[in-house]
Amino acid sequence: MIRNYFKIAFRNILKNKGIYSINIIGLSFGLATCLLILLFILDESSYDKFNQKADDIVRVVFKANVGGEQISEAVVMPPVAQTLESEFPEVIDAVRLRKMNDPKFTYNNKHFRDFEFAYIDSGFLEVFDFDIIKGDSANPLENPNSIIISQDQANLYFGTEDPIGKNLSFEEGDKQFTVTAVFQEISKKSHFEFDVFASMNGYEYANSTSWVNSDFHTYLLLKDGSKYKELEAKLPTIINKYMGPQIREALGVSYSKFKDENEVGLFLQPLTAIHLNPGFVSSGDLKPGMDVKYLYIFGAVALFMLLIACINFMNLATAAASKRAKEVGIRKALGSKQNQLIKQFLIESFIATIIAVVLAGLLVFLFLPTFNQLAGKAFEIKDLLQFSIVILTLILIFIVTVLAGGYPAFYLSSIQPILVLKSKFTTSGKSNLRNGLVIFQFVISAGLILAIIIVYQQLAFIQNKDLGYNKDHILVIRDAQLIGEQRQSFINQVLEDPKVKSITNSSFLPAGETDVSMSGVLLGDEYQRRMFIYNVDEYYIPTLKLKLLEGRNFSKEFGAEQDKVIINETASKSLGFYEDPIGKTFTQDTNEGGQLLTVIGVVKDFHFKSLHRKIEPLILKHNPYGGVIIRTNTADVSSLLTSIESKWQKINIKQPFSYTFLNESFDNTYLKEKKMRDILSVFTGLTILVACMGLFGLVTFAAERRVREIGIRKVLGSSVPEIIGLLSKDFIKLILVSFVIAFPLGYFLMEQWLQDFAYRIEINWWVFLFAAFITTLIAFGTIVLKSFKAAIANPVKSLRTE
Amino acid sequence: MIKITNLEKYYETEEVQTIALNKLSFEVKEGEFAAIMGPSGCGKSTLLNILGLLDDPDGGSYLFNGIEVAGYNESKRAQLRKHNIGFVFQSFNLIDELTVFENVELPLIYTGVKPAERKERVHEVLEKMQIMHRRKHFPQQLSGGQQQRVAVARAVVNKPKLILADEPTGNLDSTNGNEVMDLLTELNEAGTTIIMVTHSEHDAKFSHRIIRMLDGQKVTENILV
Repeated sequence: MIRNYFKIAFRNILKNKGIYSINIIGLSFGLATCLLILLFILDESSYDKFNQKADDIVRVVFKANVGGEQISEAVVMPPVAQTLESEFPEVIDAVRLRKMNDPKFTYNNKHFRDFEFAYIDSGFLEVFDFDIIKGDSANPLENPNSIIISQDQANLYFGTEDPIGKNLSFEEGDKQFTVTAVFQEISKKSHFEFDVFASMNGYEYANSTSWVNSDFHTYLLLKDGSKYKELEAKLPTIINKYMGPQIREALGVSYSKFKDENEVGLFLQPLTAIHLNPGFVSSGDLKPGMDVKYLYIFGAVALFMLLIACINFMNLATAAASKRAKEVGIRKALGSKQNQLIKQFLIESFIATIIAVVLAGLLVFLFLPTFNQLAGKAFEIKDLLQFSIVILTLILIFIVTVLAGGYPAFYLSSIQPILVLKSKFTTSGKSNLRNGLVIFQFVISAGLILAIIIVYQQLAFIQNKDLGYNKDHILVIRDAQLIGEQRQSFINQVLEDPKVKSITNSSFLPAGETDVSMSGVLLGDEYQRRMFIYNVDEYYIPTLKLKLLEGRNFSKEFGAEQDKVIINETASKSLGFYEDPIGKTFTQDTNEGGQLLTVIGVVKDFHFKSLHRKIEPLILKHNPYGGVIIRTNTADVSSLLTSIESKWQKINIKQPFSYTFLNESFDNTYLKEKKMRDILSVFTGLTILVACMGLFGLVTFAAERRVREIGIRKVLGSSVPEIIGLLSKDFIKLILVSFVIAFPLGYFLMEQWLQDFAYRIEINWWVFLFAAFITTLIAFGTIVLKSFKAAIANPVKSLRTE
Repeated sequence: MIKITNLEKYYETEEVQTIALNKLSFEVKEGEFAAIMGPSGCGKSTLLNILGLLDDPDGGSYLFNGIEVAGYNESKRAQLRKHNIGFVFQSFNLIDELTVFENVELPLIYTGVKPAERKERVHEVLEKMQIMHRRKHFPQQLSGGQQQRVAVARAVVNKPKLILADEPTGNLDSTNGNEVMDLLTELNEAGTTIIMVTHSEHDAKFSHRIIRMLDGQKVTENILV
């Protein structure tokens, strides 16, 4: 019996090649999309899970609102770890990590840079999974000067020599480290990646008792089964007890008064949630994360596409019912039971699904490299064979079979045989369910088109926004800080080139890798808030083309200007300098106590952080150090680069010449959004294609069902456009209805997305019109493709069959 | 009004070529009522399609009102057709989704008649066919005779010079059949030229002249009046 079912199913599929090609191709697109996006989602959500104790590890983070400034940092104060461990029994272990920027090792007169370096508490190696492959695996970081290095770094520094016991000189001889162990590289799927860890025991700052400065990533290992939310609820007492007294000392106000106006708190974040909640991008996250929102968006797109493919299957099968009805009638007349017919139809959809799965596998194989490029991943085909994907594929096969084959199975098998055999059975065009499903498909298609237009608009808006500075033709050589004494002569040499317009000496940039500095600011004795500090020279403002609104730029004419500052508009307002800020003073809180600063100028606000954030108060101080920023006036950058490189080499430092362009760094700030735009564009295209394939199929059936009517109308003098209009009208109506649902929904969701940007577009009415136009055009094109053929057919042929 | 000379039409399938019309010639004068008879497959329907400008002959000449139309393309044929020719089919060919009124109105829509005038003319013709009271019904709600009266109404609403009827009584009982034949006779007496294909000797007697066909050729011609 089963064999007979399969045989008949195969014959039916072959006989209805047209419908089944639409069904199978659509399904395979849907399934391939699902598989790719599933790979992506599984990959993104599996960060840090390789750690055996992952479920019991939490990170302590700091959130505050001080003087109107929202602070959220992934780093906390030095004593937090020790305090929490001793105060709460459910904390088994508390370990810290302190990242050091731009580290440098010297070994055998060779310099090494470009590696990631951090101090860690020795317990760190027990809380997290480390694979020590050489040396002391019990407690390699016990001694203050001990370090452990990754296998790759070991090979780089020591080649074939045994690294254990070797000494490395750190930061030009500041410190000497002894290698005690070599570890296997940390998994890429960790929220941190380091090449070298040094013992925290030798790091003096780690012993600080300050509850004011946050610099330490702090992780807690909790007792098995204890709830982190319960622990989190107890943390305010810790702030009261330890931070309170220090706040009184630092700010001169009682903690209770401070708390009336401000909020300060420690919070806990499960280790496995860190990667998907990158709320600390500019304040301590060790690696860029992936906003979980994007995973939802991609997941939804994949699911929608699969749904649309399933709907095609259902719709085409029921539309084809009149063709199959006779077969069902005869089978029933011959004694077939309804459930036998249901089985027959389900087996057909099962076979079609299996073919689609095979095709989907092929598609994934073909497009995996493209997808990898798009998503910035390195998936391989064998990744598809992981347990969860195989299981999910099996579940998908089941769901798709039932979803796609179920409705036609029950619908067709319930046909009364007598009606069909007397040719009274007609599938009228007025199937509400089918119409509903077509509307659903176009709600998704139109919604996606709307979303894409808005994403493109927002990204174009960012690209073209007046940033308050000019990011074009700016060359950045951050490594210039390494030239030290010879920097000025290098700058002078480069300035000789007529292609160079101006040069400024600063490591502070409004985009890309930059130094970051913040300080508390006081007016008189009263603490205001923290502000960003840019250390620059007098060429900074002209080189970046900032606009000076009031006062003057720094200048050598005025001698030393260390206590003079130029502030941005926001800082000026924040300090209450509404009228004539020039000459006003305020105090910067520094490690050596307060420094009184005098305002000499105000610059127009410029976007020195990404457009996700509002412009914050900024202070420009005359304190040149660090890298070199060059404004060029040429399109011929390559010859300029060659000339600068030769000057760089003349200075004879061992570092290779490296540079970036400011506009490229700027573009990279929005990589996540661009990635989303690209992925969304591709899958939206595919979704619409699949939806249109379904529409094409439905128009085919409508044309077949109405072939006689079309014939009569033509005999009576109807023209080809009139016939096309006749066939399109019903579908266009459905599409118009879909807009009514898609657009409010799309508006709502895209508003949510735009909330992420402090500077954003407003959604315009014409965007809806444009989305409607595009959707209608695509749908109408599909309909015309089919209905034109029906319209030009000779009516004699359709009427002769009578 | 109609003059065909050496008209030819072939049908080709993959293996065989069938000759549907074989150098057929005859003439129908304006105001005439001609019946075409012959066994199934003799080419009657093919001839009617060509006369009705629905199909193209493969050879010979077809003069419609003195104009050679044999080489006309589809759009030119459609233009001529919708203004000059009305059709009555054996199976009525009413559109199920449209009411009686709407079915009859169609040819007027396609010839661009204004809505107010359309309503007037449809009512006029429905009155004449005595189915005015059924104007809001759908075809399935009518008897066969009523459906054919609607079809005739539709054929004449545009006041065509020529009506082509393809077995107009084939699906009707004798009472309804006679009613339809009476309608056609009335129309003919009012000046419309009618060419009717039929199997029925009884119906053929309503005409002025019977053209008998076999294998795509004319065999005899009996003048009845």
